[in-house]
Amino acid sequence: MQSNIEDLLRELAPQVLGALVRRSGQFDASEDAVQEALLAAARQWPNEGMPDNPRSWLLTVASRRLTDQLRSETARRRREETAAALELPVQSEASAHDDTLTLLFLCCHPSLSAPSQLALTLRAVGGLTTAEIARAFLVPEATMAQRISRAKERIRNAGASFAPPPSSERHERLRVVLHVLYLVFNEGYTASSGPELGRADLTTEAIRLSRMLYQLVPEEGEAAGLLALMLLTDARRAARSTAEGWIVPLEEQRRELWNTDQIQEGVALLTHTLGKVPVGPYQLQAAIAAVHDEAPTAQDTDWPQILALYEVLERIAPSAVVTLNRAVAVAMVNGPLAGLALLGTLDGDERMVHNHRLEAVRAHMLERAGELTAARGSYRKAARMTASIPEQRYLAMKAARLS
Amino acid sequence: MKYMIMTFGSAEEGVKAMGRDWMREMVAFMHRLDKDLRESGELVDEQGLADGSQAKTVRFENGIPVATDGPFAESKESLVGYWIVDVENEERAIEIASRIVAFVKAPIEVRRVMDAPPDF
Repeated sequence: MQSNIEDLLRELAPQVLGALVRRSGQFDASEDAVQEALLAAARQWPNEGMPDNPRSWLLTVASRRLTDQLRSETARRRREETAAALELPVQSEASAHDDTLTLLFLCCHPSLSAPSQLALTLRAVGGLTTAEIARAFLVPEATMAQRISRAKERIRNAGASFAPPPSSERHERLRVVLHVLYLVFNEGYTASSGPELGRADLTTEAIRLSRMLYQLVPEEGEAAGLLALMLLTDARRAARSTAEGWIVPLEEQRRELWNTDQIQEGVALLTHTLGKVPVGPYQLQAAIAAVHDEAPTAQDTDWPQILALYEVLERIAPSAVVTLNRAVAVAMVNGPLAGLALLGTLDGDERMVHNHRLEAVRAHMLERAGELTAARGSYRKAARMTASIPEQRYLAMKAARLS
Repeated sequence: MKYMIMTFGSAEEGVKAMGRDWMREMVAFMHRLDKDLRESGELVDEQGLADGSQAKTVRFENGIPVATDGPFAESKESLVGYWIVDVENEERAIEIASRIVAFVKAPIEVRRVMDAPPDF
């Protein structure tokens, strides 16, 4: 019951907020009012029962809070205009969906820093409380509250209105939204392989929001691709670390622990999408994840297929990280020396100077090539460079095993 | 991403070297910095530590841990305080540290907190 109510509240949060902003024209104040309405519902519904129409209950309570807030403000003219607008009829189901999308675009406004985009999206679209978001990012609640209120202020100062971006900007703005959801997923991933298990909720939340986005824009291949990538990656959650937090690399994972429902859903999404729309980086990364997930054992992995996918990815979205990943596939298909040769092209690359992965991948290849002393040195160097504790321990252990 | 910004030295030496006016300015500066970091939603924690002369160092001697008076490091190298900030990138952490350095005119260390996700 309790979790049903929470799920429902989180689903309704952006719809109610969208409706309120549409009527009042004030994102900042409406956002606060909706949070208060959500908190009121979370307190009252479990005891007094769910109202017949939860959405209009929330909208009524939030409107009342907003009116109270505006009443205490001095700008009289604005207050009257807003009060009149609040009398408008409740919006239709279709416009509720449009509103949710518009909200996502607004929360991921390009004038905001990434941490602010994440926080605001989780609160305004995800319906999480400030305290929950603060816990997830391991910062004090006052800091998170300030970050959110700053973000809203910045949006207001940027002159952003509650309207979909012009079609000339839509593609780029959607790219930002996808990236923000991807970062939320990544944040959750940090935690679920460490001792702070509570943070895994962010992964679930990222999948929920990506699923929502996909339903809003099913024609966008990258929205489908991102959702598929998350499902296919998160499917391995139970297998990729031990209870003590040791990383279990892909080739050593117990594949019977993988979540087959998520794999099937991810693969189905890709099958439905690939070839019908222009291919993009998320779709390709999801396709690579699918090749891994569909191999019954690590030895059965179709590395030539993965290599081909990385070649396409490097063509459409070239980056040093993609070259690095392609090198892994090259080493699996053509042997570690071929992989090492490709890695050599990244030495001295500005973008790789602070990236421990170049050294970690080199260490693996050197080990496979039988260059154990050099491998040990590379593992140690990579262990010094990483900013992830589980990874540091994993790499240090790899080095220790070669001693 | 989180960074720890650390200052080193000795409070006593600071007073001796810089005098009263400097102390007043320093307190005002730290107050402003604290306010700014709170308002920007970046401050995770900030603490000053008791002077190094009050520290105890616990060493492993003859098979058992033994506590002795005094700091492990020279007082110039002893940690006196830190900020933990949650910022967008390393440049921003360095920007904050630079603001402190421009005031205290002593080196500040900026270290990443190990909060990155492992690779997929």
